[in-house]
Amino acid sequence: MDLKVDSMKCTGCRICEFACNYHQDETISSIGSSLMFYFEEKKNYYGMMVKREKTLYLGRPEGEQLLKPGEQIEGAGASAKPILLRVACDRCEDEDDGPLCVRACPYGVLSLEG
Amino acid sequence: MELMNNYKETILIVDLDAKQCDTESLSEDMVAAGLGGAGITTALYEQYKDRDPLVIGTGFFTGTFMPGGCAGVVTAKSPVTGKLCHVPFGGYAAVEMKLTGFDFVVVLGMADSPVRLWLHDGLSDIDDAADTWGKDVWDSVDKIREAYGDDMIQLLLIGPAAEAQSKAAQFSVNYWGSFDKAALGAVFGAKKLKAIALRGLDSLDVAEGFFAKCIELKNEICAGAISGKSGLKDIAADIGVDAGAIEKLSGMTHRNNAGYNCPYAATAFVKYNEAPTVVDMKGHPAPGCLISDIKGFAALHAAGLDAAQAMEQCFRQGIEPEAAAKAGKTEGVSEDAGKAAAFSTAVPESVFGSGQGDAWWQKRQALGLILGIDPMIMVMAPEIAEDRIVEFVQMSAEWDDFSADELERIASDVIAKSA
Repeated sequence: MDLKVDSMKCTGCRICEFACNYHQDETISSIGSSLMFYFEEKKNYYGMMVKREKTLYLGRPEGEQLLKPGEQIEGAGASAKPILLRVACDRCEDEDDGPLCVRACPYGVLSLEG
Repeated sequence: MELMNNYKETILIVDLDAKQCDTESLSEDMVAAGLGGAGITTALYEQYKDRDPLVIGTGFFTGTFMPGGCAGVVTAKSPVTGKLCHVPFGGYAAVEMKLTGFDFVVVLGMADSPVRLWLHDGLSDIDDAADTWGKDVWDSVDKIREAYGDDMIQLLLIGPAAEAQSKAAQFSVNYWGSFDKAALGAVFGAKKLKAIALRGLDSLDVAEGFFAKCIELKNEICAGAISGKSGLKDIAADIGVDAGAIEKLSGMTHRNNAGYNCPYAATAFVKYNEAPTVVDMKGHPAPGCLISDIKGFAALHAAGLDAAQAMEQCFRQGIEPEAAAKAGKTEGVSEDAGKAAAFSTAVPESVFGSGQGDAWWQKRQALGLILGIDPMIMVMAPEIAEDRIVEFVQMSAEWDDFSADELERIASDVIAKSA
């Protein structure tokens, strides 16, 4: 099972990042999250990136994309890079009620599939 | 009381006369007296009122798991009304501000040349702003982000209208204007303060069980009056905006956006320089603009202007849209802002059947700006009831003796002091 993103349902509220960070280190922040919001503000172009064990999953509005180590995100700016340093998503396997990001999202953007 | 669950416990005092920054501690006594947001910005305004303060604050729940916890507040004496006004700012800027390490910022005096304030990771710099003074808001956002090397920087800033201290000016949150209908942007201009740039990577602690309690409340809100509703167009229809304006808005809407942790997406990004259906990272560099002030959009439409493109011009110049509509143009507007009041009239009196009159609306606005909950969410989500607020304050700050009477006192005080 892996975390999936239905990007066109996303409204950019970013609570998923903070919920993930809370799972990782029990604080509210976004820098320790396995999820990262990617935003080109003037174009209103946004999506979510998820750090997985061996790949980087991109939930882009055009569709999903998987990147392997070393592959570049075409067109992405500097704000996309810190995700590569994050811990991988563990799908909140120790949480009885499922991943915190899925529970926190008001818009049904995130799910576990596969 | 456990302050670290809600605050970074720091107030920044910026003296523009001396070009110097100092910090004070945010004490338990201050939080007990004013709770947060407008409750504390009002107290700070009174403390420094001899120096014409501009006070920016985060709310008690800003940046927490509390649904709608995206709001901050700018408090100052309005050049339009001569009274204390509180203007919300949302999106992600208030969360970013709290995570810089500064819960409140008090700006005193007046710079002798244009400056901007750069708050990042517990540091505060007063930097020269000659490179952006005179430039429009959009150019300034781009230039400041480039100067500090981070495109996620959040900004409160002004354009040419506020630099000229027009009573039709407003401050802007990033590119997209704000709910400022009290010309607080002109207070920035009088101080020669072009911008406050924010980038923070700090964190807040979380009380045991608070996350789960917030998820329960979020689920209740989503199943309540907002269920089945979506975006700015449904709000517009509900508050009786002209059908032609709604049709225009709907036809151009690309996506509806939400502020941090908001269960309703109350802003609409409209595209007019490429098709609204286009989703392409390499598309038009500036395909449209983000609309949050539906009353401003409707007023520009009623004035016979192309409302979406007129909104962009208002955003660029830093002009309040209803004032531009009254003048029938989007440049050189000198009329007073739309409907200046203690709380922003950009927030409707009722959404999805929630309204209970003016006194109710004022109290919901005051509570939202004290707590840091989006003022639109405060109007549309009766699930955030006062008894629930007391429970959440008690739990979040491990503050068992916080009471409904205290909440009432703090909200009444904010309303009375801005009347």
